[in-house]
Amino acid sequence: MIVHTDNLTKRYGAFTALDGCSLAVPQGEIFGLLGPNGAGKTTLLRLLLGFIRPTAGKATVAGFDCVHDSLAVRASTAYLPGEARLFRRMNGHQTLDFFSGLRRECRRDRATAVARRLDLDCSRQVARMSTGMRQKLALAVVLATDAALTILDEPTANLDPTARAEVLDLVREARAAGRTVIFSSHVLSEVESTCDRVAIVRAGRLVHEQSIADLRRSHRITARLTGSLGRIPVELEPHATLAEHANGTVVIESSDSLAPLLGWLSTLPLEEVQIEPVGLGGVYERFHGRTGALVAE
Amino acid sequence: MFNTAIWKKTWGDQRVLVLSLVALWTTFPWIYIWLSSQIPMPVFQDVLLRAIPQDWQRLSGVPFTEVATHAGRVALAFVDPVIVLAATVWGITRGSDAVSGQLERGTLEMVLAQPVRRSAVFVTQALATTAAAALLCCVLFAAVFTAVSLGPWAGKVDAVRFVPPACNVFGLMVCMAGIAACVSAADSYRWRTIGILCGFYVFSILTKLVGRLSSSLGWVGYLSILNAYEPQRLVGDPATAWPLLASYDGVLLGLGLAAYALGAVLFSQRDLPAPL
Repeated sequence: MIVHTDNLTKRYGAFTALDGCSLAVPQGEIFGLLGPNGAGKTTLLRLLLGFIRPTAGKATVAGFDCVHDSLAVRASTAYLPGEARLFRRMNGHQTLDFFSGLRRECRRDRATAVARRLDLDCSRQVARMSTGMRQKLALAVVLATDAALTILDEPTANLDPTARAEVLDLVREARAAGRTVIFSSHVLSEVESTCDRVAIVRAGRLVHEQSIADLRRSHRITARLTGSLGRIPVELEPHATLAEHANGTVVIESSDSLAPLLGWLSTLPLEEVQIEPVGLGGVYERFHGRTGALVAE
Repeated sequence: MFNTAIWKKTWGDQRVLVLSLVALWTTFPWIYIWLSSQIPMPVFQDVLLRAIPQDWQRLSGVPFTEVATHAGRVALAFVDPVIVLAATVWGITRGSDAVSGQLERGTLEMVLAQPVRRSAVFVTQALATTAAAALLCCVLFAAVFTAVSLGPWAGKVDAVRFVPPACNVFGLMVCMAGIAACVSAADSYRWRTIGILCGFYVFSILTKLVGRLSSSLGWVGYLSILNAYEPQRLVGDPATAWPLLASYDGVLLGLGLAAYALGAVLFSQRDLPAPL
């Protein structure tokens, strides 16, 4: 595991920003971190980098303790903050030179190549760059390294659709090169299309963790019956859950192959049936929707 | 403990301020000495020794008889607000930028995400600031030296006597920068750091004045760092000027370095808030 946290907690007085977070991220995975503003995602990332000290618990990155070996942790990590702010008096080239000087394995030629892929004009002064251009410049700094772990906090914020797609390609390339990426975002479609696994954070707690492969096998079946439903067969019970049943309409959630379930459904007195993937939005809604609070409790 | 990239960046950050002070301190001694020379020495002596109450001598820190010389009059340039305020503003500006300034701008986040120790960032910035202060004091001395040697009072004053006052200015700059950096290391807002330092400076002026003017509250003067900034007392006999400078700069540099050391510890230990 390249990232391992054990009961990681951060409190500011009476306010608990992160509460007993235990997490393990294997090497070579793109790990999505989801949650609304203030849920504790950035606190978790800042604890990993040693910017803040945990109130309780422990975290390691690449085997190094995040508090006591922070320098080694940061040598193994490239980090893009949620709102990356760079030196306004420098231009793009000077910024890349500066960060190449701070990190030996940050290759200047690669940074230039990333900037070029993102269609960034590096000759412009940072103060005269748009928010999106600054984000591209910060991405060029971060994605030019060979760090074992890359942490991206809302990497596609402020970017145009072309640059967004390019960034997601760069993230996938990082995974292909054996690097691990923690990808924090509010854009569910990006997370779903890019990540291997996701975790959902709510009010400082890690409330759900799921692989995207499992998610893709999850479906919601909404059926209208003319007769009674009966019991879900025992052999299907581990992977099928009756979510709703009212006024002749049933909603069944399936977490595995649909074939056996469809076989059973075909024996029921169906009037109409609708099958749709649950999708990350459905899972997220479960924890952060209007009824999310009840579900998470 | 030293980082070349941070060193270069800090010089870039302070470039405009350094160049402005170089311009100011290069021209100021020339203007000051030329303006002073417009008042003939007998007139100046007459005003100083007869018209001003002798009790006010306590404020000057040196007897009026010493002020009423060419060397004494040039030495007054070092207590002129152009020098004192510029040195103080330098210290507060550079010191306050060390941590809280960068936290406020949000630029510290990307720097500290790199494999560089916080102490290395802090110490390297302190070294660059101190080196620039030394450079500025060299510029100031060079300007005084040339203005004295080539100006209207050429041949009347030994220009080398102004080395100790220039060193005293250096001590003040390092002291103010160190204290400002220490406060900055514990703070998250630059405006608040600057406010605290301005309050501290006003406190130093007031305690120095109270200490000078009141016989019973003379001890209050020791609460002021400006008690160790007396360049006008350092242009006399070199045999006394250098030991006096050692005691003054010993206090100022000692305080400055202690503040830098404390600031480095505070910065290394503290939680860094997310960009504001």
